Amino acid sequence: MDQTQDVQTEDSAFDPASITRPDPALLNYYTIVAICTLVGFPFVFLPLYFKYHTLKYKFDDKGVSMSWGILFRKEIYLTYRRIQDIHVTRNFIQRWLGLAQVSVQTASGSAGAEMTIEGIRNPELLRNFLYQQMRGVKESVDEEGEADAGEGNSDEALKLLREIHGELCALRQSWETSP
Amino acid sequence: MSAHTDKATQWIYHGLWSVLVQWFRVPDKPPTLPTVGDDVAESFRPAEGFLRYMKFRFWIALLIIDIAIMGGWLIGTIALWRNDLLWVGLLLLPPVLIIAIVPDIIAFVAIHLRYDTTWYVMTGRSLRIRRGVWTIQETTISFENVQNVKVHSGPLQRYYGIANLEVETAGSGGSAGSSQQKGMSNANRGIIEGVTNALELRDKILARLRQSQSAGLGDEPDEELQKNRIGWTPAHLQMLGKIRQTLAHWRAEAASQ
Repeated sequence: MDQTQDVQTEDSAFDPASITRPDPALLNYYTIVAICTLVGFPFVFLPLYFKYHTLKYKFDDKGVSMSWGILFRKEIYLTYRRIQDIHVTRNFIQRWLGLAQVSVQTASGSAGAEMTIEGIRNPELLRNFLYQQMRGVKESVDEEGEADAGEGNSDEALKLLREIHGELCALRQSWETSP
Repeated sequence: MSAHTDKATQWIYHGLWSVLVQWFRVPDKPPTLPTVGDDVAESFRPAEGFLRYMKFRFWIALLIIDIAIMGGWLIGTIALWRNDLLWVGLLLLPPVLIIAIVPDIIAFVAIHLRYDTTWYVMTGRSLRIRRGVWTIQETTISFENVQNVKVHSGPLQRYYGIANLEVETAGSGGSAGSSQQKGMSNANRGIIEGVTNALELRDKILARLRQSQSAGLGDEPDEELQKNRIGWTPAHLQMLGKIRQTLAHWRAEAASQ
C-alpha cells in the first residue's frame, strides 16, 4: 500500500508552493511525544498543540518562510541560496507516521538549525527541491559553459586577433609584390 | 562447531535486521543523491577496520566495567561471609551477572548495527551521510559550501588503518570538543568515519572545492564580472599561433633576400 502511494506522489510533480500547513500526522506525532513524558503531558502537549495549529509554511521562488506561535509569534525567512547544509532526521515514531524533520543550516553563529521544517509528507522530495535550489547546481554551470562556447564567434578579442592576422597577411603580400 | 555458531549468529542477525526493516522502518537501501549529466553517485561505507576498531574499544570497556562489577560483588560477598550471610551474596550473583552481561550483548549488536547503517554517498557536487538506527540522520553538504576539510586519526585508528574525515561548512555548529560525543550529527559538519582512503577523499573534495568560482556565502554570481573576465580560449590561442607563423615566415623571407 505504502509503496503504491509513494510511487503516485513521486509521479506527480512536487510543488513546494502547495505546502502551507504541516501534515495532520504531525499532531499525532506531537501527542505521542507528549505522552512519552508521562507526568509532563499537559505542559509539553499544550505548546506543541498550539504550535501545530499556528504553523504555516510559505515556499516562494527565492526562499522559504515559516511562522508559528500565539502569544509569542515567530517567523523565519531564509533564501535557498544561503543554505549551507540540509539534515533530514527521522526517529522511529516519525518513520512510522511517514514524517521527517528537515533541518536547514545557514552560516549563522547559532549552534542549532536555523529552520526545522516538520510534518512534511515527502521529505525526500522536499530535500531534493531544496538541494536543487542550493548553491553549486551543476545545471547552471553547464549553461554558462555552453553560453561561453556559443559566444566564441562573436568574441571581441578573437575578432580583433582575426583582424590583426588579416592585416598582417595583406601587408606581407603587398610587401612581396612591391620590392 | 564454530561454523555452526557462525551460521546461528548470522541467522539471528538477519532476523534482527528484517525486524528492523519491517517494524522499525529502517531503510535497507543505501541513500541516493540526485545527479546531473554524466555525474556518478558513488556510495561507500566505513572500512572493515572501523568495525574491528569499534570492537576493540568495546572489549576494553567491557573488561574494565565487568571487572569492576565482579570485583564489587566479590568484596561484598566476602564482607557478608564474615557476617555469616554468605547466602545473601550467592543470591546476588545472578542479578549481578545479568547486569554485567546483558548490556554487553546489546552494545555488541549495536556496534554491528551502527556499522551496517552508516552510508556515505558522494557525487561531483555534494556529499550525503546517513547514520543511525533509532534516529536516522541524513546530512547533505554541497562542496560549494565547504570551508575546510580535516583528517584525523588516533594511534588506535592508525593501527587499524582508518581515519576520520571531517567536512565543515560556514557557521559554528557547536564546539569542536563536543562533536565526538554528540552522535556525530553536529550542525555545519559532516564526518566520514573510519575510511581507509581519507587522504584520497580529502584531495577529491579539495579538487572540487577549487573548481567552484564563487567565494561568497550564497551570493548570486556576478554576471558583469563573468562577462568581462578575459580568458584565453583555444580559439584565441589558435589565432595567435597563426599570427606568429605569418611573422616568422615573413622574417625568414626577409633574411633570405
